[in-house]
Amino acid sequence: MTPRATHRRALACAATVISAGLLLAACGGDKDDSKGSGSADGKNASAKSATVAIAISDKDCAPDPATVTAGTVKFDISNKGSAKVTEAELLDGGKILGEKENLTPGLSGDFTLNLDAGKYQIYCPGAKTEKTDFTVTGAAKKTWKDDPALVAATQQYATWVTGEVKELVTGTDAFTAAVKAGKTDEAKTLYGKARIHYERIEPTAEIWGDIDGRIDGRIDDAPTAADFTGFHRIEQALWEKNSTAGLGALADQLSADVHDLYTKVQTVEYQPAAIANGATDLVNEIQSSKITGEEERYSHIDLLDFDGNLAGANEAVTVLLPVLKAKDPTLAATVTQRYQATATALKAYAATPGYENSGYVDYRKVTDAQRRVLAQAVDAYAESVSKIAGKIA
Amino acid sequence: MTSSSSHDPAAGADGTPDITPDPAGHPAPAPVSRRRLLGAVGAGAAVAGAALGAGGTALATRDSGSGSAAPGGEAAAATVDFRGAHQAGIATPSQDRLCFATFDVAQNATRADLAALLTAWTAAAEAMTLGRQVPGDEGDLNTPPDDTGEAVGLTPGRLTITIGYGPGLFDDRFGLAARRPSGLRPLPALPGENLDPAVTGGDLCVQACADDPQVAFHAVRNLRRLGFGTVLPRWMELGFGRTSSTSPQQATPRNLMGFKDGTRNIDARDENVMGRHVWIGEEEPQRWVRGGSYLVSRKIKMRMEQWDRDRLGDQQDVFGRYKGSGAPLTGHREFDTPDFAAKSGGAYVIPDDAHIRLAAPENNKGLRILRRGYSYTDGIDKTTGDLLGGLFFIAFMNSPDRFVTLQRVLGAHDALNEYIQHIGSGVFAVPPGLAAGQDWGRQLFG
Repeated sequence: MTPRATHRRALACAATVISAGLLLAACGGDKDDSKGSGSADGKNASAKSATVAIAISDKDCAPDPATVTAGTVKFDISNKGSAKVTEAELLDGGKILGEKENLTPGLSGDFTLNLDAGKYQIYCPGAKTEKTDFTVTGAAKKTWKDDPALVAATQQYATWVTGEVKELVTGTDAFTAAVKAGKTDEAKTLYGKARIHYERIEPTAEIWGDIDGRIDGRIDDAPTAADFTGFHRIEQALWEKNSTAGLGALADQLSADVHDLYTKVQTVEYQPAAIANGATDLVNEIQSSKITGEEERYSHIDLLDFDGNLAGANEAVTVLLPVLKAKDPTLAATVTQRYQATATALKAYAATPGYENSGYVDYRKVTDAQRRVLAQAVDAYAESVSKIAGKIA
Repeated sequence: MTSSSSHDPAAGADGTPDITPDPAGHPAPAPVSRRRLLGAVGAGAAVAGAALGAGGTALATRDSGSGSAAPGGEAAAATVDFRGAHQAGIATPSQDRLCFATFDVAQNATRADLAALLTAWTAAAEAMTLGRQVPGDEGDLNTPPDDTGEAVGLTPGRLTITIGYGPGLFDDRFGLAARRPSGLRPLPALPGENLDPAVTGGDLCVQACADDPQVAFHAVRNLRRLGFGTVLPRWMELGFGRTSSTSPQQATPRNLMGFKDGTRNIDARDENVMGRHVWIGEEEPQRWVRGGSYLVSRKIKMRMEQWDRDRLGDQQDVFGRYKGSGAPLTGHREFDTPDFAAKSGGAYVIPDDAHIRLAAPENNKGLRILRRGYSYTDGIDKTTGDLLGGLFFIAFMNSPDRFVTLQRVLGAHDALNEYIQHIGSGVFAVPPGLAAGQDWGRQLFG
């Protein structure tokens, strides 16, 4: 179970590095360490352009002017006569954003960047003064928080996740109560009803790797037998041994963990790109552990998990869809169409009440050829979902 | 052409390349100068690399990586033109490696989806053959890269990407019924075959050949990725060693039975022979496919363990060639012309059921096909522990009937059948090469 918190923030902020077009909506109050772009693409209509001259010498590489406003900045670097100093770099902290090398005496060169407001340095190794400050002024860059539609999307998603975890708590408490009461058959029918809520919000739950591991870890995730706990440990006993014997402590722990999760999810601040990438993770998850039948290897209610992952991905996509439609209507249409194709493919296996009351048939009854049809729909959907983050961020 | 009139001992005595006299009785064509060849057949057939010199080649734009250590700039120039009169990957010299895949069009995909995909495939294929990445976003940290990346830093390795269309594509799904090439229909059942549907057929095929297996795999992988939602992969085959030469300037390789079985292949530089046997010509009513060809693929499993236990004399009788030199049993050197009439002690020196006798143009009314196959392996048989592998046969011809005719003979009588079995099959119409600005979508749909 991978902790995702750091990963998520990195994903959202990373967009700011690349293009001015993405800058507008990319990265909230996060402290990112990169402010420049590798290419001036002219997409940022509001940005101004500036030219900065840098004459490198044995002494230094002072920029002229030393302050510009945010936008496209062209650096003209020339070496009139220094044999010792032959390059200049633009640094953001320790990171090189742009550079020109091998400028022997008489040569000149340039590079152009999109720069956000901030403090930078011009660096010319070998000079007496190697680093000179360079300042970019302007309004703090816009973030996704300046886009009311994206703010609404993240709030909508947060509300939905909290509601799902609330149902997870209710469902899990009913399930663990049945386990502790020794009602094996009842526990089996309650197992899937609790789990589907977890499968819908898994990318959020995975923020806390330890809790996720305890709740949803599989036998092969556990370093020792004692570390195998949670839903799948109880699943194993219920279906393999047809017994609830000795599960009391495991049931208590599972209940406590989902309650803890409920408290924690209410503190999460979602970013649009993270929501989109979470949707990709969910669809990938269908392919890697549901189609294969790995996740519910004892109960074989994999199709219910499939349903949960798909619904979770669709919720994430749905909250972002108004923005996506505005930015890339073609991708929005493709994603919608492929979701429907996947949902239709899954629906072919719906049953009432279904195997173990799961609403679906026993996954063991689905042939390899049928699984392949499902997998192909899932693959196509995942491929389109993976492109959303770059469009809306 | 009767077998007697083809006996010309002089033809092979001086090591003349494998140019079988054609039915009209023309002498073997005079050697074509390289430069003339390049001029005559157009850029599509022009090949880079040392074999044909530098004329008509494109320089790779890819940085020379670790795989580019070959001297003399051969690696740096290792690209084959993507556009031209014919698709690359047919007449162009066989590369060392193959990745071959077939696809079915997805259930919900429309004509417009397929046309759009073929347009995207054209752009991607052309870029990759130049050693560039699949076009798209580069470096956007919030978007998956459009190119999967594993070919970065590798030389293009003479990558060719050849597309073909199966009979199923011309049903009523995409309005293509009226554009079906006249020779394109499923192959009939053939003697001795035992086809596995999992490695047979497909609406489309992609043949990627390169000297680097990773480059060939990368090409198919990236086309597959572009195809999500429109086409579904049906099967894929990796070939690790070419089994035929398409020009006598390439040494004839050996198949997994240890024999040279491509010695008498068509010399693909010979325009006359190619025009008569391989390229679809003016007789084809579907203009759009003239200049193209038909590709027949056969996955041929070899019973390697049994073969390896066969005595040398019998192995040589099965092929009709000496294992060591590759010479026919009636000759001394590889390119000696077989004497199918020669007898010793009342029996033919090249036995009745020898592979080269049954496959020879002289004995099939001059019928020839261009072979371009590769050895393959699928690992180990789970039940027996025997090696799984053999020949992934690919051949190009101006009508699939040519293959059917040959295989009816071979499948019924070939001594080799004791050691091989055809387990997979495919037949595809291969359109001609693309002109500047053209793409596969517009070419197919018109």
